[in-house]
Amino acid sequence: MIKLYGFPLSTCTRLVALVCKEKNVPYEIISVNLAKGEQKNPSFMAVQPFGQVPYIDDDGFLLYESRAIARYLSKKYPNQGTSLIPSDPKAEALFEQASSIETFNFNAFVAPIVVEKVFKPRRGLQTNEERVKELLASLLPKMDAYDLILGKQKYLAGDSVTLADLSHLPYGTAFYGLGDVFTEVFESRPNLARWWKDISNRPAWLAVKDGA
Amino acid sequence: MVLKIHGHAIAPLVRLVAEVCREKEVPYELVNVEVYKGEHKTPAFKEFQPFGQVPYIDDDGFVLYESRAICRYIAKKYASQGTPDLVPRDPKAEAIFEQAVSIETSNFYPFALGITTEKIVKKHRGLEPNEARLSDLVNNLKAKLDVYEVILGKQAYLAGGSITLADLFHLPYGTIVFEELGYDMLEDRPNVARWWKEITARPSWLAVKAKA
Ligand SMILES: N[C@@H](CCC(=O)N[C@@H](CS)C(=O)NCC(=O)O)C(=O)O
Ligand SMILES: N[C@@H](CCC(=O)N[C@@H](CS)C(=O)NCC(=O)O)C(=O)O
Repeated sequence: MIKLYGFPLSTCTRLVALVCKEKNVPYEIISVNLAKGEQKNPSFMAVQPFGQVPYIDDDGFLLYESRAIARYLSKKYPNQGTSLIPSDPKAEALFEQASSIETFNFNAFVAPIVVEKVFKPRRGLQTNEERVKELLASLLPKMDAYDLILGKQKYLAGDSVTLADLSHLPYGTAFYGLGDVFTEVFESRPNLARWWKDISNRPAWLAVKDGA
Repeated sequence: MVLKIHGHAIAPLVRLVAEVCREKEVPYELVNVEVYKGEHKTPAFKEFQPFGQVPYIDDDGFVLYESRAICRYIAKKYASQGTPDLVPRDPKAEAIFEQAVSIETSNFYPFALGITTEKIVKKHRGLEPNEARLSDLVNNLKAKLDVYEVILGKQAYLAGGSITLADLFHLPYGTIVFEELGYDMLEDRPNVARWWKEITARPSWLAVKAKA
């Protein structure tokens, strides 16, 4: 069975767990307690030199970086569960385009906002509101483009769901959960709102949303 | 029909696509976008790239944007010519390649881009750099490069013994930070320095630097 070294509540660990659920791949969580800093233990860093969760051990094959793990599992089990990465070359290229859109136009702004608004207070640190404002201002035009794209097609890479859509869920859910202006970013854009409602209600996500 | 790259010759990510074309011996034509006149923000441009950024390609009618997606598309379409295995095909080698790609995306690009924004982009707009933020970015990048030093002490390239797209992805913004802005982050990190020297000395990159 896949061993998932991670923290059940961490965003990146839940992305991997989500993909396991979509692909019907059983996994066992080996808890790495971020609150105790276990991700910086030498034994952990021997595998993940950046000292961050998650990594997997698939029968001796060690891999880190959540998106790399997600792709590996999607490709290893192509005919099981939800198909998440298209194999036709042009469809695959459009999937890669969508994947990059998520990384550079969504995660780049949403993740640091979540860090400022959720993780920092949790660690007793102060939110840099100025930075949140800047990040949010940069995010808004990107979300206008999302709304346009999602007005023409159901999902970010075309008419079927792919890993590129799912990758939005962990940080996107934390961001949406911040309420008021943050929730509005999604809700005020009809196509974006429709897409968000669709992906955030997938049974696989509901199963891991509150803990991998 | 020859592959068309729509972009501006000195835009870093346009150079990245040109670099990969040269590695794969794929002829291309650069179609100039008047970025300084804001052409990339016009509705006509956004029809092809809804986020209003360069580059995008037109490969005989197939339009694709997001530089890294384009690079992957070219590397796979022309797998059997030019530099081999820029995207490895063996499943485990491919997974390790994806890990390396994510390392660049999460541990290099955001910091190098941030530094470029503070030092260059803001200046063009007549703004002052945010010094506190700049020093955070520099310190963060140095800490990540310490981990690169460990990884590159064990293997020649970021995904193992051969060069892949994951290495090439560092070229555009690495050149700005290490060379144009002159941040000295290589001197104390001999393995990173060795790797950087090697990837920047590739004839394809030298050609692109001279003229995309
Ligand atoms: N790019 C990495 C990021 C992993 C990451 O940010 N992990 C966080 C939890 S979501 C972590 O381990 N934080 C603790 C730390 O950085 O010390 C991935 O996608 O796997
Ligand atoms: N994620 C995009 C980023 C593209 C990008 O940052 N392009 C820059 C030039 S290198 C640009 O068009 N900047 C103008 C702008 O963002 O308005 C990609 O990789 O293609």
